[in-house]
Amino acid sequence: MADTALAKAPVAPRRGRAGAETRSRGPRGAGAYLTYLVPATVLFTVVIAVPLVMNVYTSFTRWTGVGPRQWAGLANYRQLLHDSEFWASMWHSLALVAAMAVIPAALGLLVAAALFDVIAKRFSPRVASLLRACVYLPQVLPIIVAAIVWGWILDPQHGALNVALRDVGLGFLAHDLLGDPHTALLTVMAVLVWFQLGYPVVIFMAALQRTDPALGEAAEIDGATWRQRLWLVTVPQIRPEIYVVLLTCTVASLRAFGWIYALTSGGPGVSTQVPSYYSYQSFFTNLEVGYGSAIATVMTLIILLVSVAFLWLQRRHAG
Amino acid sequence: MPRKSAGLLIAALVALAGSLAACGSSGGGGGSSSSSKVLKVWWYEGPGSAYQIAWNQAIADFKKQHPGVTVQFSLKSFNQMQQNASMILNSSDVPDVMEYNKGDATTGLLSKQGLLTDLTPEAAKYGWDKLLGPDLQVTARYDSKGVMGSGSWYGVSDYAEYLTVYYNKDMFAKYGIQVPTTMAQLTAAMDKFTKAGVTPFANAGNDYMAMQYLYQMELSQATPQQVQNYERYTGSVDFHDAAWTNAVKTFQDWIKKGYIAKNSVGLTATQAGNDFETGKNPMLMSGSWWAGTFESDIKNFSWGTFLWPGNTLNAGSGGNLFVVPKNAANKELAYDFINDTLKPDVQKLLANNGAVPIAASTDGVTNPLNVQLIQNFQTLAGSNGLAYYPDWPTPNFYNLLLAQTQDLMNGASGDQVLSTLQSNYDQYVSSLG
Repeated sequence: MADTALAKAPVAPRRGRAGAETRSRGPRGAGAYLTYLVPATVLFTVVIAVPLVMNVYTSFTRWTGVGPRQWAGLANYRQLLHDSEFWASMWHSLALVAAMAVIPAALGLLVAAALFDVIAKRFSPRVASLLRACVYLPQVLPIIVAAIVWGWILDPQHGALNVALRDVGLGFLAHDLLGDPHTALLTVMAVLVWFQLGYPVVIFMAALQRTDPALGEAAEIDGATWRQRLWLVTVPQIRPEIYVVLLTCTVASLRAFGWIYALTSGGPGVSTQVPSYYSYQSFFTNLEVGYGSAIATVMTLIILLVSVAFLWLQRRHAG
Repeated sequence: MPRKSAGLLIAALVALAGSLAACGSSGGGGGSSSSSKVLKVWWYEGPGSAYQIAWNQAIADFKKQHPGVTVQFSLKSFNQMQQNASMILNSSDVPDVMEYNKGDATTGLLSKQGLLTDLTPEAAKYGWDKLLGPDLQVTARYDSKGVMGSGSWYGVSDYAEYLTVYYNKDMFAKYGIQVPTTMAQLTAAMDKFTKAGVTPFANAGNDYMAMQYLYQMELSQATPQQVQNYERYTGSVDFHDAAWTNAVKTFQDWIKKGYIAKNSVGLTATQAGNDFETGKNPMLMSGSWWAGTFESDIKNFSWGTFLWPGNTLNAGSGGNLFVVPKNAANKELAYDFINDTLKPDVQKLLANNGAVPIAASTDGVTNPLNVQLIQNFQTLAGSNGLAYYPDWPTPNFYNLLLAQTQDLMNGASGDQVLSTLQSNYDQYVSSLG
């Protein structure tokens, strides 16, 4: 679908620049190197460009997925404007951006710094590596498997969480977390933080290893606290990695589908509905393929804008 | 070296272009001469199900009658077929006969687009129109708009299904409860269970179950005409009428009284089935399709079924259909195969494995649970009491009803829920033209 296109989109400018460099070497060289772009161009066209164009076209039609499409102009987009479920799903997307990008990046920075500065130095680098692997583990699990297991843990009647709470005498805290519209989204967010945390930790720890220890030591001699050193000395040095983590996690959160599919199906009611799942429902169960395409197109635009904004910010800081 | 890599690159591109061209040229074309001896059958009922057992027998019977014909069977998934129906049925690689979901949004849609073969002449020739009673024919016939209930035959089902109450006989005995035959008796039984701290009914709000409770409650006050209007757009539908208003009120009342657990709102059907199998809930109201599963899974208590008390109308219909794609290469063989699925030996296998055979005969059925299941169906079919399913009227009603019943369970206003259903229903019906 269209959203696959988006993750790849930022790569395109780089490819353009490579072409420009080769061209400067002379016409014969340029021709030879351009040939190497053909397979990628063909694949890009077939896998990304054509489906994207078809998706945008379909969003201007009414279509059940079978038979001819009827041109509908902007009707699907007009319907989107007045669709409370769509707007609810957009707000939930923001919550998922917090759960998959902002919170994991902030927490990940703290955890990475703690592992790098404290655990590795006071215990041993091996302990730090082991803990890093533990935090990263959820990222290795297939999303559907992890989501189904969380579904079991959170089962209101027999789930491990509620049973454990009852067993230790905290039964009053036992709650149908995924069934209550007031807690469902927060619960999904908590699970997503658990899942996502390992990714920034790994990236940030790698980043910390390339920072100049002399700067931190100088700040320490000057009397800077750990918090000041982290915020004023370390963070500016690993800013490129922070941008990469925020960009990739934000894009991933806007495309979050598997978790919703396996944990809540967007419910109860529409309290955990997100655009990607709503688009899927419109496509395949509601047989409103044009409407589903319109949702996908809107998400495509949003993800493109977010990506461009992040890349612009990153380049500005790099410059 | 550069020349060699350029050569390899060109070769790779030619291969890629070739394979792409092959993908694009799969349209049209009938069966080749070699395929005239092959019957391609597709279905998506899982291994071990009553349907698979019975239909394998139909394949064996077919092979005996057609010694020169090879049967190629493929197990598909419904999603796989629904999501690619148009592409599959327009290609040359179509099956000769395939299982497909009954209803307007599935078989109705394909028939409207001309992707299926009109089976009306065969229905008369093979006598399918006599074997299937009027209630069961509804899901086999579709009009030019793809609306079920009239017009041509586009599919044939060899089994039926309906909603029934599964009950735990041991728990009923423990609390001294008789099988209820009226709603008052059922209510008294539920009160007894709740007083003892037992939630009477298993339920799944994040699946088809909760909406089926709601629908059975609606049917308790609905007329057959209202059902026809709702399912087949034969007249206006008012969701604020007495039947629907009573249904949402009763449903919320049941949640409040604990007849159905409020915290079943996020559960799936599998979890609810589990709750019944483990004896957590003494009753489960759901489809006859559970019978086979319970027969093999439940070992530590005895159980039975009874009809939802007090209803003359009850959710149920013919089962999924065997349809013949328009481009099928061997239609005559396909008709013979469909007819084989209706033969007594196949029907008996369905019955003995916990399904309801379309002929609904109990002859040769050994398990008393299956006899009971079939007899209850006979009662419903005999009084024209089959009222289909709540999510059929529009393609998005399944998702909508699921979300709305979840809201009801979480205390939403019944009036608001009915208004939402009304506006979505009206919008769809007006789009039909």
